Amino acid sequence: MLSLSELQHDALGEVFNIGVGRAAASLSQIVNDEVLLTAPDVSLVHIDRAASLLRSSELQQFSSVSQTFSGPFEAQALLVFPESNALEIVRLMLGPHITIGELSEFEQEAMCEIGNIILNACMSSLADIFRISFTSTLPLHRFGDTDNLPVLEGDEDQMVLLLQVDMVISQQRIRGHILFLLSVVSMSSLLACLDDYLVSQGLA
Amino acid sequence: MPGNLGRTSLRAVIDSLEVGVIILDSEQRILHSNRWLALRSGIAAEKMLGRSFAEAFADVANSRLEQAIRHATHDRLPSLLSPALHGTLLPLYQTPEDRRREKRMQQMIHVLPLHDDSPASCLIQISDMTANISRERLLRQQTETLRRSTTQDALTGVANRRQFDETLATEFNKARQNHQPLGLIMVDLDLFTAYNTHYGRAQGDARLLEVADALQDAIRPTVDLVARYGGDEFALILPGISQRQICQLAENLRLRITSLAIPNAANKLGKYLTVSIGSTVMLPAGEAEADTHTLLSSADVALYQAKHDGRNRAIHFSLEDGGFKLCG
Repeated sequence: MLSLSELQHDALGEVFNIGVGRAAASLSQIVNDEVLLTAPDVSLVHIDRAASLLRSSELQQFSSVSQTFSGPFEAQALLVFPESNALEIVRLMLGPHITIGELSEFEQEAMCEIGNIILNACMSSLADIFRISFTSTLPLHRFGDTDNLPVLEGDEDQMVLLLQVDMVISQQRIRGHILFLLSVVSMSSLLACLDDYLVSQGLA
Repeated sequence: MPGNLGRTSLRAVIDSLEVGVIILDSEQRILHSNRWLALRSGIAAEKMLGRSFAEAFADVANSRLEQAIRHATHDRLPSLLSPALHGTLLPLYQTPEDRRREKRMQQMIHVLPLHDDSPASCLIQISDMTANISRERLLRQQTETLRRSTTQDALTGVANRRQFDETLATEFNKARQNHQPLGLIMVDLDLFTAYNTHYGRAQGDARLLEVADALQDAIRPTVDLVARYGGDEFALILPGISQRQICQLAENLRLRITSLAIPNAANKLGKYLTVSIGSTVMLPAGEAEADTHTLLSSADVALYQAKHDGRNRAIHFSLEDGGFKLCG
């Protein structure tokens, strides 16, 4: 079972916060208003643990945007919000005239783009700092309850880098999660990249 | 070679695509653009060739598209620009007429890194979403119309019984959570059957509309709700109201209706159309279903008392002491 040392934990936290910070800048530019994004917590958990964390949340309907990144390691990245929070984000980003009770195609595409911005920013921040590069699929938006969320269909041996994300738009705080699903082999490669970086910085 | 399309026919294929295609090199210069784009942008493909993308399309400066292109050429990551967030980013038009009117097409833009070793570094693909967006707009309007018709009373325009029931349940739960009182008023038009018989149903309908408007004007528009509860009966849901306030309001409503001065030759009590009103206030505590029933029946009892006492009056029923009180 892989785990993060304190140093690895802090370094990953910093890398992803740089990423979500960049995403926040892009989102702010789109809406002409300040959007804040923070990832206050990073943890490495087994896929079962991630699944039970999502299952235990009070809301059962999710909106998820996913992209699969390939490079020195493979990761399926997912941005997951409870559906009501996704609606709130879209309403805040598209304007108060949106009075819908559910996301239509139009709003789903917007959600897809928001996910794309956040996930690309996280992965490019990782790529910049580790001096590696990735390719990626286009973002895919899906709805689902905890029974058909892709994270819960994955390989049993997968590990999950779990980030809590807090988004603040127009003084409203909206909470979601970013999950990076990696095989044990890919996770080991990620940690190796991380250790190389820490060594290069004289930190390990 | 079998399976090899050849450079020329590949260009022909790109030119025949029903989406806009722009291929950039790593310096963000235009290597190729297709016929679809030339038609919609009004710039011939040869004129775009070799120009920097930012120069050909000045609108992209500091836009998300500029960032997406950088993501593709620098980070090799794909991006999607949704019509909801960007819509008419590029100056593209379906027809020359649209161009004259500055009516841009709604766009969905994909920016994709190209992976081979050729100089081509980034592919921009633009789809025309105008038809989809107008279809969605139409669907949304229809949904809104439908929503209104299921929640509004067709004759008077105030909430219908269904909306009343839903709002009462919601406000009840809110009041219970916030420990706030919830008030209910029932308004009944006095001897309205006689009015209808005397003046005809069309006149009766017109009076219902006037009364509904008068009630609607008297309430707090974003807080309270007026509903048509039955044929000639209206109900008002009043969150956060005290006993003193609801009594004042009930009497005020009675006076408002009388001051409409609607002649009523069928009224034995006076020459104008009048109303009887019952009110009550509750501090919700128990189970919603039982308690909304208590609230409704208390207002009903007060209304019945008002009629029993000779009509054209507002009576309040106190749930605290079980007594009646004449408002005003």
